Amino acid sequence: MAVTSTLRIAWRNLGRNKKRSSLALAAIALGQFVFLAVAALMHGYMGEFHASITGPMIGHAQVHAEGWLDDRSIDLTIDGVGDVLDEIRTDPAVEHVSARIYAPVLTALTEEGFMSFVVGVDPDAESHDAGLLPGLEAPGLMGQGRVLIGSGFARRYDIEPGAELALVGQDVDGSIASGLFTVTEIVSSPVDIVNNLGIVMTLDDAGELLAMYDQAHEMVIHTRDIDTVGETVARLSALPALADLEVLSWREIVPQMVVMFEMVDVMLLVILGIVFVAAAAGIANTMLMATFERKHEFGMLLSLGCGPSRLARMITVEAVTLGLVGVAIGTALGLGLLLITQQTGLDYAALGGASDSYEASYKGLHLSSLVYPRLYASDVFAGMIAVFLTALLSVVWPIMRIARMEPMEAMRL
Amino acid sequence: MRGLDLEIHKGDFLAIVGPSGSGKTTLLNLIGALDTVTGGKVEVFGQDLSGMSRRERAELRLRSLGFVFQAYNLVPVLTALENVEFVLELRGEDGGRGATAMSVLEDLGLGELADRRPNEMSGGQQQRVAVARAVAAKPRLVLADEPTANLDSENGELLLKMMRQLRDEHDMTFVFSTHDPLVVSYASRVVTLRDGKIVSDIRKGSGSEAPGDATEAN
Repeated sequence: MAVTSTLRIAWRNLGRNKKRSSLALAAIALGQFVFLAVAALMHGYMGEFHASITGPMIGHAQVHAEGWLDDRSIDLTIDGVGDVLDEIRTDPAVEHVSARIYAPVLTALTEEGFMSFVVGVDPDAESHDAGLLPGLEAPGLMGQGRVLIGSGFARRYDIEPGAELALVGQDVDGSIASGLFTVTEIVSSPVDIVNNLGIVMTLDDAGELLAMYDQAHEMVIHTRDIDTVGETVARLSALPALADLEVLSWREIVPQMVVMFEMVDVMLLVILGIVFVAAAAGIANTMLMATFERKHEFGMLLSLGCGPSRLARMITVEAVTLGLVGVAIGTALGLGLLLITQQTGLDYAALGGASDSYEASYKGLHLSSLVYPRLYASDVFAGMIAVFLTALLSVVWPIMRIARMEPMEAMRL
Repeated sequence: MRGLDLEIHKGDFLAIVGPSGSGKTTLLNLIGALDTVTGGKVEVFGQDLSGMSRRERAELRLRSLGFVFQAYNLVPVLTALENVEFVLELRGEDGGRGATAMSVLEDLGLGELADRRPNEMSGGQQQRVAVARAVAAKPRLVLADEPTANLDSENGELLLKMMRQLRDEHDMTFVFSTHDPLVVSYASRVVTLRDGKIVSDIRKGSGSEAPGDATEAN
């Protein structure tokens, strides 16, 4: 049968029982819309989460001395920081790399003392978008005893710029480390530890305080393409300057997060399964009813010389057309929702009845109730393929019935 | 069918008559490979239908046979022109399908109804479209079940004249099941059935009754 008539008959047949076709289309469109809406919200939420994980705190990959990640011991250092950084920067996949020093200290402000955390950084290397101090004119505010402190920390202890902080801790050799520092700026960092405990100083100042000369605890790497981070890590591990160090991708540093991402993927698959069932019910019901009602017509077509396989093709085209039109409507609705919400974001807190959105950090990870939905072409195609397969499956039985019919037998029914 | 023995010759314009229940439609369905042969033998163009697969029978119907059903049986979602064109399309005819279909419709006085769907036409008009569909591809054999049942005598005559012209010009064969004296008057041969048996087989012009003149359909 020529394609033109097959399509024409299939398309027009959908209009024969408008109510039934509309209901089937509504079921399929709703399924696709729900899938896309959930996928967009999940991608938005997880995307932000992912950006937070692989952002300023963890980066795409890290370099440490063996065991530092587990012990966080001050004396597990990376030595020869300058040489190691230079060698890492030779890899074309590396976009940013910065060394950091971390050390807990006791801080005294006038007569009050409290725990805090020294974060030694290279201000230039941390001022990029995914750094600890994004967009801050940090270089002029740090160095030679001048430090920045986190906004939460400043608020808790009522610290203003100009305040002097006396720090006491333990240096890399186990001796007492102490120093006096002046606060030049209160910063709001995307990283929890900086915001709530952080005294951010230059690597030189931190090295001076902790007797760590040309040493660091961690190097945070941002690559140009996070998808190939595994290969980058393998290349970096082979560099001579990194021979005694461990180079880990973010997946190895926070494997529990990887599991979480995989769970989201599974969840989306489950939702896709629900779409599949909704579509199957809609299409199968429509096609079964249409087949039962049109036995006489099928008999007539068979009598004209239309073979069972041609009839099967016609019914299949009808089901697939129904499914794909439903998917197109659902996709249009989904994209509409995306267009509306991707600029303003969707506030979970507001949806839950709260008057304000919230932002929170947990273990360095930034969480917000405001989600910017994201959709990928693969989501649209996943729904499309699911409905397409459903359409094919739903016509199997009607086709099997037709294949067994003699023309007159069908026309007598 | 009971002990029926009939041979239909090329170019026959054959009317099968007989009371309701005599087996006229059943005979047409068997010759047209529309029903399963459960006993005896039916040969169409030298091919034994009982030895043919469903696909082969479909191919035979498509390539060599044309059908006119009592209940029209047009594709409801296609227009008159598309219904006629559909058969040509099924046969894989490419160029000039539309023109051929339109010409057949015009021959039957249906040119102005070409864009109408079956539910927008009267029974008689649908019947004429069904005839147009059956003859458009010029099959070797046309089987027509009560083709004039829904037509007035003027349209019935137009239809029969056109069919006879097709028979003459294209060597087509026509077999009608009918109660209509008009069809009988146009037929070149009249077979009368009763209780599934041939009770007479008259070839007009020869003036002779020829039962047993035929072979197949046994």
